[in-house]
Amino acid sequence: MRLPRLFRTTPFRLTLLFLALFAAAASAFLAYIYIATAGEVTMRAEARVTREMASLEAVDRAGGLAALNQAVIERSSVDHPLLYLLMSRDGRPISGSIGASPTIGFTGDRTWTSFQLTDKGPDGGSVRQPARGLEERLPDGLRLFVGADIGESEFFVSKILRALWGAGALMILLGLGGGLMISRDVSRHIASLVHVIDAARGGDLHVRAKVRGSGDEYDELAAGLNDMLDRLERSVGGLRHAGDAIAHDLRSPLTRLRARLEAAMIDAEAGRTDANAALHQALEDADGVLRTFNAVLAIARLEAAGDAPAQTVFDPSDLAASVAELYEPLCEDKGLEFQLQASPGLRLKGNREFIAQALANILDNAVKYTPAGGAIMLRVRRRSSGDVEISVTDTGPGIPGHDRTRVVERFVRLENSRNAPGAGLGLSLVAAVAGAHRGQLELDEGPGAVDGGGPGLRVALVFPMAS
Amino acid sequence: MKLLIVEDDLEAARAMVTGLSERGHECVTAPDGEAGLKTARDNRFDVLIVDRMMPRMDGVTMVETLRGGGDQTPVLFLSALGEINDRVAGLNAGGDDYLVKPYALAELQARVEALSRRREMGSVQTVLKVGDLEMDLISREVRRAGVEIDLQPREFQLLEFLMRHGGQSVTRTMLLEKVWEYHFDPQTNVIDVHISRLRSKIDKGFERAMLQTVRGAGYRLEA
Repeated sequence: MRLPRLFRTTPFRLTLLFLALFAAAASAFLAYIYIATAGEVTMRAEARVTREMASLEAVDRAGGLAALNQAVIERSSVDHPLLYLLMSRDGRPISGSIGASPTIGFTGDRTWTSFQLTDKGPDGGSVRQPARGLEERLPDGLRLFVGADIGESEFFVSKILRALWGAGALMILLGLGGGLMISRDVSRHIASLVHVIDAARGGDLHVRAKVRGSGDEYDELAAGLNDMLDRLERSVGGLRHAGDAIAHDLRSPLTRLRARLEAAMIDAEAGRTDANAALHQALEDADGVLRTFNAVLAIARLEAAGDAPAQTVFDPSDLAASVAELYEPLCEDKGLEFQLQASPGLRLKGNREFIAQALANILDNAVKYTPAGGAIMLRVRRRSSGDVEISVTDTGPGIPGHDRTRVVERFVRLENSRNAPGAGLGLSLVAAVAGAHRGQLELDEGPGAVDGGGPGLRVALVFPMAS
Repeated sequence: MKLLIVEDDLEAARAMVTGLSERGHECVTAPDGEAGLKTARDNRFDVLIVDRMMPRMDGVTMVETLRGGGDQTPVLFLSALGEINDRVAGLNAGGDDYLVKPYALAELQARVEALSRRREMGSVQTVLKVGDLEMDLISREVRRAGVEIDLQPREFQLLEFLMRHGGQSVTRTMLLEKVWEYHFDPQTNVIDVHISRLRSKIDKGFERAMLQTVRGAGYRLEA
C-alpha cells in the first residue's frame, strides 16, 4: 500500500519515531508513578494501623481487657476509617466492626494481611475494596486485629492514572498533528526548491529559489542553489559568448580568403596570373585564418575558464629572462637597445606557458613598433602593494590615451599600425591572460619624447603575489 | 621509412599519405584504434602516426595498449586538442611527439622524420658529428674542420638539436618546442634571428654553408 505523499516525508517519519520514543518513556514514567503512589498509599495505611495497634495495646496495659473491649466497641461504633476485631484465644470474635479475621494461618506473631473488603456502595450494591490489616496476640492471650481500608487511596491513584493516559493520548494526537503540520511546511519548502531544480534541469537558468530572509536552513539552501545557478548561468553565458565571438571573429578573415580565391580564379582563368601563385597565396591566407582561429580560441577559452588551468608557482624573473633571451637577438638585429631588469626572489602563481606567451606578445609589439635606434626595457619587480609587475617599456610612438582601452579589444588595430603585420589579437590575449590570473593589464605612456621618437609605451602585467 | 597512419578522417589520411609518400615513405593506413592496434602488432613500422580521437578505440588507449605489450615504436600523436593538459596526457600515454591539428604538411614530414631518427640514437653518444662539424657533449666544445667555435649556451642547445637531426628538416615550431620549450607561435620570426646568429658562427669563413633554410618548412643542417 502506498501512503499519501505527506506521510512519506522525512519530518513525518521523524515525528512518528519521536512519538514512539516519547510513548515508551511516558509508559515507563507512568509505571513508576503508579508503583510509587500505590506503595505510598499502602505504607501510610500500615503506619496508621501500627499506630492504632500501639494505642490499643496501651489501653490494654493500662485498663485490662474491660477497657480494651470498651475502646474497641467505642472505636468500631463511630464512623471510623479503621476496622477492629477483638478475638478470644481460639479466634472467636468478641467485639469489633468485622465479623471474622481475614488473617489466614495466624501463628501468634504479628502478621500483616492484604484482603478485600466488601462494603455497601452509595447505590446500595456491594463494593469490594482492597484493605490491609495487622493481627497480634495480646499479652493475656487474646487476639486483636486492626485493618485499614486503602480503597479510597487506590481510587485516587487510578484517577491519576486515567488522567495521565488521557494526557498521553492527547499528546500523541497533538504530536501527530504538529508532525503533519511541520511535514507540510517542510514539504512546501522542499517542493519550491525541487521546482527550481526541475526548471534549471529543463534548461531555464533564469529561475531562482525564493529567499525569505529568515536566515534558516531553507534560506541557506535556497541561497546556495541560487549561487550555483548564478555561476552556471555565467559560465554557460560565457561559453555562448565565446562561441559567438569565434563565429564573428572568423567570418571576416574567411570572407577575405574566399574573395581572394575568387579573384585569383578569375585572374588565372583570364591568364593574367599563374594559378600556382594564387594557390600559394590562398595557402598563406588559410594559415593566417588558422592562426587567427587559434588566437581567438585561446582568448575565448581563457575568458570562459575563469581561472587559468595548470597553475604553478614560479619565479617571474626566470620566466622574463627566458623570454628576453628569445627576443634579445631580434632587438639587436633591429638596432634596438634591450635591457632586462629583474628583481630576484619573487614568486608568482600562474600558468607559465600563458604568461610567457603574453610577455612574448608584448615584446613582439614593442619590437614591431619601436623604430631603430630606440630602446626596450623588460622589468620584473614587486610593487609596494605586494603585487608582481612584469612590464615592457619602449620608446616607440606609444598609444594615445583615448585609444588605450580600445586596443585591448579583439581585432582593433590603430591607424598607424595598418601596414605592420598582425591581426590585432595580441593585446586581447594579454588581457585575457591577465584576467585569468586575477591580474591587470596596464597601458601607460613610456619615457616621453626621446630623440624625436616617443612618447613610448609602457605595458604592465600586474599579478597578485603568490601566497 | 615504413609508416602506419591511424586516422578515422579518410580525407586527412589520404592527404598525409600523399605528402609522406612524396618524401619516399611507405604508408599503411588504419581507420580506427582497433584496426591500428592490430596492424601495428602484426607488422614492423618505423613511426606510428596516431589520431587521438577515433571511434572504437581512441588513440591514447591504443598507444597505451601497444606500450603495455612492450612495443617501443615511436608515436606521433595528432590531435585537435591543443591544450597543455591534452599534450601532457598524450605524452604520458607513451607518445613521443604531439602535433596539433590543423598542421602544415612540412611540419608533419619534419616531425615524422625526426622521430624515426630518435630510435637509432638509443645508445648514449658523447660526440655528435655532421660533416666536418663536431660537438663534444661532455667538454661542450664545438669544432668545424678543427677550428674551435665559441657558442652561447642557447646556441649550443640549438646546434645540438640541429646536429641530432642532421640532414633532416626541422621547423621553427619544433625548435621553439624542443629548444626553448614554448608551445606558442610568436608573431615575429624570433627563431630566424637565432638561426642567422648561429649560421654566422658555424658557416662564416667556410666555403660551404651547412645551415640551410628550407623554403616553407624551416632549416636543415647539411653534412
